[in-house]
Amino acid sequence: MGKLLYFIRQALLNISQNKLIHLISLGTISIAILILGVFLLLLVNVEGWIKNWGGSITMSVYLEDNLPKRQIAVIRQALSSREGVEIQRFISKEEALIELKSALGPQSELVEGLTRNPLPASFEIAIREPKTDPASIKRELEGIPGVVEVQYSEAWIKRFRGVMRLVRVGGMMLGGLLCLGVLFIVTNTIKLTIYSRKEEIEIMKLVGATDWFVKIPFLIEGFIQGATGGLLALVSLFVFYLIMASNKGIFLSFTLLEVVFVPHFYMTAIVGLSSFLGFLGSLMAVGRFFEV
Amino acid sequence: MIQLFHVYKSFGGTPALRDVSFRVRKGEFVFVTGPSGAGKTTLLRIMFGAEKASSGHILINGINLGRIRRKQIALLRRRIGFVFQDFKLLNNKTIFQNVALALEVTGANPSYVRKKTRQALRSLGLIKKEEAYPLQLSGGEQQRVAIARAIVKNPLILLADEPTGNLDPDLTREIMVLFRTIHMKGTTVVVATHNRELLKGTAIRKIYLEKGRVIKED
Ligand SMILES: Nc1ncnc2c1ncn2[C@@H]1O[C@H](COP(=O)(O)OP(=O)(O)OP(=O)(O)O)[C@@H](O)[C@H]1O
Ligand SMILES: [Mg+2]
Repeated sequence: MGKLLYFIRQALLNISQNKLIHLISLGTISIAILILGVFLLLLVNVEGWIKNWGGSITMSVYLEDNLPKRQIAVIRQALSSREGVEIQRFISKEEALIELKSALGPQSELVEGLTRNPLPASFEIAIREPKTDPASIKRELEGIPGVVEVQYSEAWIKRFRGVMRLVRVGGMMLGGLLCLGVLFIVTNTIKLTIYSRKEEIEIMKLVGATDWFVKIPFLIEGFIQGATGGLLALVSLFVFYLIMASNKGIFLSFTLLEVVFVPHFYMTAIVGLSSFLGFLGSLMAVGRFFEV
Repeated sequence: MIQLFHVYKSFGGTPALRDVSFRVRKGEFVFVTGPSGAGKTTLLRIMFGAEKASSGHILINGINLGRIRRKQIALLRRRIGFVFQDFKLLNNKTIFQNVALALEVTGANPSYVRKKTRQALRSLGLIKKEEAYPLQLSGGEQQRVAIARAIVKNPLILLADEPTGNLDPDLTREIMVLFRTIHMKGTTVVVATHNRELLKGTAIRKIYLEKGRVIKED
């Protein structure tokens, strides 16, 4: 316990004796982590929006002709009991025809002449479960007896998912690069502070300090650097979020969209990652530096 | 306590020590002497694990320095006080901090460190200077700080390299009395010096080095 205090004091002393170097590297780390954070924030929000839009994926569930009312009720029951499905309305054959007529407008004569109503009855449903592939929902619903076909427009969903996948892969690569950058910065900063205390380290070893005794303060120093960099980035990210939230109209020309901050898990992950990188960087710096 | 068997040491071809063998018993007081460049510092540094012998064996307190881990060297050094010829004081630390460092690295608790450090400074007449920095002290005072740091941990062995090199005759005598006192308390003491005055008229054992060889003992 006393030792730990000694190590922490030593680490803080190192920082205060190399303020400028630490400030520069802290700034750089914060910026790198902030970029990562901004990326996460955008990703979280875009995914949220997609989820909401997902609610407006509507499907039409077409039914067989001449189903008895009882079976329609069974189908309604089957649909509404499925999680993520919300029945918006039932369109009977007659209603479908009326809608078609009004949609055709002046050309409605085209259907006037029909002796038989060719349109099927249908349920219009909304899908509240965007994670699941709509195609599989379609297949599932088509399995209900009495259902002929399920239709939805899927072109834009596919495109959007593809884009998101690309964005996520790109984000990972960018994140990896940024992490390497942070590692590099921390390693070099710690090397510099080690260098500035070279003489002291030599003497400490001559009077009987073990390698670890000399190394631990530097590890703490790197950890502190990573942790403060991460916290600073998180605070800046929050400021960025506030600006974005208050200007969302300008940013996105959609006022409908709600902007949210990254969830707790990501906040912890950002600071955790940064602290870990700080620790790892100093571990690398300290590695082969102690041959006295 | 200290045993050397056929120790050779060369720095990139030029030999500094050649076939040096001797032993120092527990509680003994020994001078190592010889002209400048004879290899005195090298010899002491080898006993301290700060330099590796090119060949031969060194046993310190039963531990073979040739086959020892780094961690064990650290632990050994806590039991050996070393007064460096060039002092090796840290100029950005106070006298107190310089001396305390030798205890801090052992992980001793702060109150113990404070007590022992004050005690060592007092015994060397440095207590008034504890807040001063090395460069504010005279050469003789710096020398005494170096000695204080070596004895603060009550070492088993004290190795002193030219410990009176910067002192006037009165102080020299005083330091020698101090070493005798430490020796009386049971510490094994090895002093390297080329100061003939120091050796005159003492019954203390002397090892003479010349060009890296032991040329005589008395
Ligand atoms: N690190 C080193 N690299 C190369 N040569 C060295 C090194 N240390 C010592 N020597 C050489 O080894 C020889 C012995 O040096 P050493 O310092 O042991 O002598 P010394 O007896 O302590 O001399 P002095 O009385 O001047 O302190 C010298 O020739 C010196 O040049
Ligand atoms: Mg010498």
